[in-house]
Amino acid sequence: MRHLFLIAVAIILASQLTIASAKASGAEQVYKFYCAQCHGLTGKGDGPNVTKDFPVSPRNFTNAAEMNKLSDADMRNVIMDGGPSASKSPMMPPWGKTLTDAEVNGLIKHLRTLCQCKGKQG
Amino acid sequence: MRHLILATLSTVALFAATTMATMGAANASAGGDVFAAKGCADCHYTQGPAREKTIDDQLAKKGPELWYAGSKFQKDWLGKWLTDPKPIRPMKFGSLTVENPADHPKLSGGDVAAVTDFLMGLTSADVAAGKVKPKKNPKGRQIFSKKMPCSGCHQYVGRKKKIMGGRSGPSLVEAGVRLNPDWILAYLQKPKVFKPVKMMPVFVGLLSDKDMLNVSRYVANFKPKKKKK
Ligand code: HEC
Ligand code: HEC
Ligand code: HEC
Repeated sequence: MRHLFLIAVAIILASQLTIASAKASGAEQVYKFYCAQCHGLTGKGDGPNVTKDFPVSPRNFTNAAEMNKLSDADMRNVIMDGGPSASKSPMMPPWGKTLTDAEVNGLIKHLRTLCQCKGKQG
Repeated sequence: MRHLILATLSTVALFAATTMATMGAANASAGGDVFAAKGCADCHYTQGPAREKTIDDQLAKKGPELWYAGSKFQKDWLGKWLTDPKPIRPMKFGSLTVENPADHPKLSGGDVAAVTDFLMGLTSADVAAGKVKPKKNPKGRQIFSKKMPCSGCHQYVGRKKKIMGGRSGPSLVEAGVRLNPDWILAYLQKPKVFKPVKMMPVFVGLLSDKDMLNVSRYVANFKPKKKKK
């Protein structure tokens, strides 16, 4: 009986752990699926689309100095509406019709962990 | 007498038509058997509608879905590709780091026609026929390489016949011989039907129907380089 109880507790704990880690990996998975093809898996701007003839370098998300120039709102705009909305290259796609609000919020947080920077406030 | 001849002729015609139809159907069903026997179904699903709901679902797939193959591909291309499957996606399916290993199973002999018939029979009612006439057009070109990032993710034949463009999407270098022009438009207009979860952005609401038509006509006009003789 005691064993059974312990096993049950262990199972419950384990399942909660996986739920927690699934949530935590959400934003990272979204990043790797949609953004890494250009910005690279680790955010260095070196995804498989960036060949010699790619016209502009996708932002290197690990460059804190550059990333600090952007507020969270700036990031949201460019992610939703694409490069031209911020006078940047159209090679940065508009994702507003593809991603949910929650996914975009998650991405902004994820980019902040990649740059380890807080960004321009306001 | 004249009637008799007419009657015989029409019976013969009818007979020929039905045998041809049943032969076609028989070939397609034989093709379905080959498809199962050769393990093709391990990596490709052939029954719609689209099953992918999450990124995990999409990443779990070992090959592209084929349930609308008959609406997507051109028959001539399909038959040739099944005998000699050259890479379509520059990268390995589902990977951003590994190149396409170019190791797709090949078919030969009678299996080719049978599987081609089977796959060409898998159509989707969501593709309207006769809408997209392939044509080079400046508006389509503008969208493809300037206004929208299509060229950032897809290879195409650029100036001086050079293959240019991004590598995360399927190559469009042969789009004009590989894809049904009408399917390209349907794919852009109805992302939920064909690809509910994909790495390509949804352009509905960003490109007008007219823009989508122009860019589809432009892409449907891509032809591979002619081999020098
Ligand atoms: C097709 C390639 C491509 C994809 C896919 C892509 N980007 Fe970009 N991104 C770019 C390029 C190129 C730039 C740089 C534009 C410039 O400097 O003109 C950029 C710039 C950015 C910037 C900086 C904008 C600024 O004002 O400096 C952010 C933030 C960004 N991308 C976020 C994302 C996110 C999040 C995703 C995934 C949802 C994503 N990108 C997917 C190509 C891409
Ligand atoms: C081990 C998994 C696997 C098996 C088995 C397999 N395929 Fe594929 N198939 C793939 C992958 C991966 C691709 C994408 C290849 C590329 O982009 O170059 C593909 C592409 C295709 C395509 C083109 C689809 C598209 O959208 O580009 C067709 C048609 C096809 N396969 C038919 C078959 C047939 C017929 C068989 C059986 C003889 C078969 N496949 C067996 C993995 C598989
Ligand atoms: C961020 C990268 C990206 C951008 C931008 C992009 N695509 Fe795609 N595209 C893809 C990927 C990846 C696929 C394959 C999706 C799948 O099968 O899961 C694809 C698939 C396609 C296909 C179907 C090809 C096939 O063989 O299945 C067509 C046609 C296409 N894209 C056209 C376009 C056009 C036109 C544009 C611009 C309006 C565009 N793409 C912009 C990444 C992109």
